[in-house]
Amino acid sequence: MERIDEFIRSAKSLPPAPRILPQLMQLLRQTDVDSSKVVDLVTFDPALTAKILQVCNSAAYAGAMPVADLREALLRLGFAEIFRIVASVIGEQALGAAQAGYGIGRGELWEHSAVAAVAAQIIAQDRGLDPQQAFTAGLLHDVGKIVLAKALEGSYERIIEETDIHQQSLVEAEKAVLGVDHAQVGGRLLAQWKFPEPLVEAVTWHHDPSSAENHQPLAACVYLANMIAAFTGHGYGFQAFALRGRAEALESLGLQGDELPLYMIRTTEGLKKVSFLAAA
Amino acid sequence: MPAPSLAAITGFEQKLIVGVADLAVSSNPNVVIITYSLGSCLGVTIYDPVTKVGGLLHAMLPDSAIDPAKAASQAAMFIDTGIPALFRAAYQLKADKHRVQICLAGAAQVMDGSGFFSIGKRNYEMLMKLLGQHGLVVRAEQVGGLVSRTISLNIKTGEVRLKCSGQNLETILWKG
Repeated sequence: MERIDEFIRSAKSLPPAPRILPQLMQLLRQTDVDSSKVVDLVTFDPALTAKILQVCNSAAYAGAMPVADLREALLRLGFAEIFRIVASVIGEQALGAAQAGYGIGRGELWEHSAVAAVAAQIIAQDRGLDPQQAFTAGLLHDVGKIVLAKALEGSYERIIEETDIHQQSLVEAEKAVLGVDHAQVGGRLLAQWKFPEPLVEAVTWHHDPSSAENHQPLAACVYLANMIAAFTGHGYGFQAFALRGRAEALESLGLQGDELPLYMIRTTEGLKKVSFLAAA
Repeated sequence: MPAPSLAAITGFEQKLIVGVADLAVSSNPNVVIITYSLGSCLGVTIYDPVTKVGGLLHAMLPDSAIDPAKAASQAAMFIDTGIPALFRAAYQLKADKHRVQICLAGAAQVMDGSGFFSIGKRNYEMLMKLLGQHGLVVRAEQVGGLVSRTISLNIKTGEVRLKCSGQNLETILWKG
């Protein structure tokens, strides 16, 4: 844990803590959401508010009359949709940059994450998990890469050696080179940012969901979503396919192996419908 | 007479981008057909050096039997429907089945003992089965492994180029 915290402390290009997301998630769990609380939370950030209104007035959402303020946007689109838009705006800011240490170009980590978010939400809806939590976990599953990218610069040969010669997965290679991996670091960072525990656990174990203590299905959901993002043409960086196939993830969600291709197709369909992920 | 295209006047290369589960063919010598981020997906190029017609398919899954409706609306999603669609489109531009040079890239394979996640491998096997049935051979390929790839086909020369994700170096897979 100390070593993880050390990496987080010394990371230079960390995005600001998205405080608003865990707070919104908490509101979302209430059956009777007070919309004025949501409006208060979001309007605290004028740039975010402007961006949300811009998305709401984009071609995919716009009605006959443009949405003038957040309250109206909330009425028209509903809280769940507004939440996904907020999460995506924040996600794009946090994940948009290139990460040279991973061989990931500008926009690629965001694209991968956005696709994983959509896949996670689709699986969650089918399997009776919280879709907003799955969406957010999918969106943020690789946030630890932002922390470790700098430390990995110059380690390309080691990563190739670990993956190609020693048949280690990319997370195992990270661990061999740095002593920590991006899933652990991401989980820890999200815990520090006060995200709910199931989400923290799902991100921490998104490469090895059967090790999750309390929330295996959500971790398995994010694991599969990450795979689906890679399999549908959104896997980037060095050794992007140094991933381990984990049949137990399918099992913990009650899925058959041949259902994976169907989720790949549904994810590519789902992506067409989410214009707020336009960058993906 | 149709007006010459901008590319024809300027001599600039025109990039024709093929997305996931999509295909394109061309006989325009200024065109380079390209597809990005081939992971477990399979990229297939065909090129007739006589008529200088080429095409590229970016297929995601091996077998259309899992979703026939999808295959009907988007044949390029699957190898078994995408390959016939690619060839048919190229025939329209006067490509000949037995003259075409076939190159492949993609079909990256995760570390999987269970077989459930072996999408790349299954894509490759389906393609080989299909080509075998038609007596077609592959001229050059770079498949499998752990990397994501970009592949392009130059319609003027038939040259096929390849790039791995995270690397700047572009290599020539087939000289054309």
